[in-house]
Amino acid sequence: MGFAGLAAAARAESGPGAQTKGGATAPACCCTESPGAAFSKNSIYQLDARFQDDAGREFALGSLRGRPVVLDMFFTSCGYACPLAVTDMLAIQSRLPAELRSRTVFVLVSFDSVHDTPEVLAKYRAQRLLDGRWVLLHGSDSSVRELAALLGVNYRREADGSYTHSNVLSVLNRQGELAYRRVGLSGGVSELGGAVVAAGK
Amino acid sequence: MKHSRPVRLVALAALIGLTALRGSPAPMVTIPPGQYVPFTKTARGAQAVPVGAFLLDEFPVTNADFLLFVRANPQWRRSQVSGLFADATYLSNWANDLEPGRLAPADSPVVHVSWFAARAYARWVGGRLPTMAEWERAASAGYRCSDGRNDPELNRDLFAWFAQPAPEVLPSVASAKANFYGVRGLHCLVWEWVEDFNSVIDPAGDAGPGGNLYCAAGASDVKDTGDYATFMRMALRSSLKANNTTGSLGFRCARDTGTAPGGKAPEGNLATEKSR
Repeated sequence: MGFAGLAAAARAESGPGAQTKGGATAPACCCTESPGAAFSKNSIYQLDARFQDDAGREFALGSLRGRPVVLDMFFTSCGYACPLAVTDMLAIQSRLPAELRSRTVFVLVSFDSVHDTPEVLAKYRAQRLLDGRWVLLHGSDSSVRELAALLGVNYRREADGSYTHSNVLSVLNRQGELAYRRVGLSGGVSELGGAVVAAGK
Repeated sequence: MKHSRPVRLVALAALIGLTALRGSPAPMVTIPPGQYVPFTKTARGAQAVPVGAFLLDEFPVTNADFLLFVRANPQWRRSQVSGLFADATYLSNWANDLEPGRLAPADSPVVHVSWFAARAYARWVGGRLPTMAEWERAASAGYRCSDGRNDPELNRDLFAWFAQPAPEVLPSVASAKANFYGVRGLHCLVWEWVEDFNSVIDPAGDAGPGGNLYCAAGASDVKDTGDYATFMRMALRSSLKANNTTGSLGFRCARDTGTAPGGKAPEGNLATEKSR
């Protein structure tokens, strides 16, 4: 089973993934589609919400166009669900066939616009050994709320500064369309991995 | 605070432009600072959340208001909008893209609008949607006192409204009674979107108590089921997706104090004064 078999069917692509040093930079934008072209009608990239990556650079979600994406909303101080979701994402990454792994992007967007600054996200990247295929994003309350609404993620900030939130892992296809959602923590990674293979085609 | 002259001029020009597009700015009411007592309690939640002063539209947004918005923003016309941002019933009670028509009178609240559309409208007029805490704080007032729970007239009206199905043609916003703060139609007219509608986490939905879906799984519980109207609003919010539209769901806009259209100093506004 696994997704290595499924991946054989995945179209190989020659686009070189931007190999990064030290794992601290985000992958470069894929160049198979012209950047000026309008996003598809169901593309999440139509959102004009703005984010910042963990190097403090402005980041538009639309720059992920052309790549399969696994996206999770989280907060760095979460002690239970979020670390598990990240572990699952790492498991998917390690099991993807090399070609697909080289162009799949793993995105973490923080609910915590107050504490999860780019610096805090950079520390989290180092702690969890997340390589250059990972994008860690900080956004304003408004941007985070908008993205969450689009992905069907409910959350609220509690008085103690923690967040109660749904646990949804989303897979976006190369157009930025929602291709698959895993709701809850117990779904395993096989189906999700298969969805990444399909989304990478 | 220093503003350079060019910034002021640009701001003024923008304001004039906006006013010209929208007719006169919507009348807003200042809601004084206070607190919101969350309806659901959680282990880590607060008993009461402070809510700062803010401005809230006196009336819900009408079909006439929304028509100006879709005229100026073609991507929000019924035939143009992306399904991601508004579902198939978006503005379905309108005759066509640019004509509300018989079922959507100009002065009735606009309904069949999604959260994305409501938010885009609010941004277009230079405002925002109220947060749930703000909305609930404003709506907690009765007609004559700041605590609506003790207002028999409001409770009578609420239950009469719940007992009736939503009419095919909604009444004029002008028909709505003003509450203690001077805001009209928060109850008994339409339900309204709030900015953080998706902060309501349904314990029976994808976060069953004891389940594994939420960090606070099993910790949320309703505080006071006696407040039927609030319970209904929370149930509605937890059931909605941001692109959903219904025939009884509209919205109104809020602003931070100090950003009132017309540049009126907010300090001068009394709780019940309308800033025009």
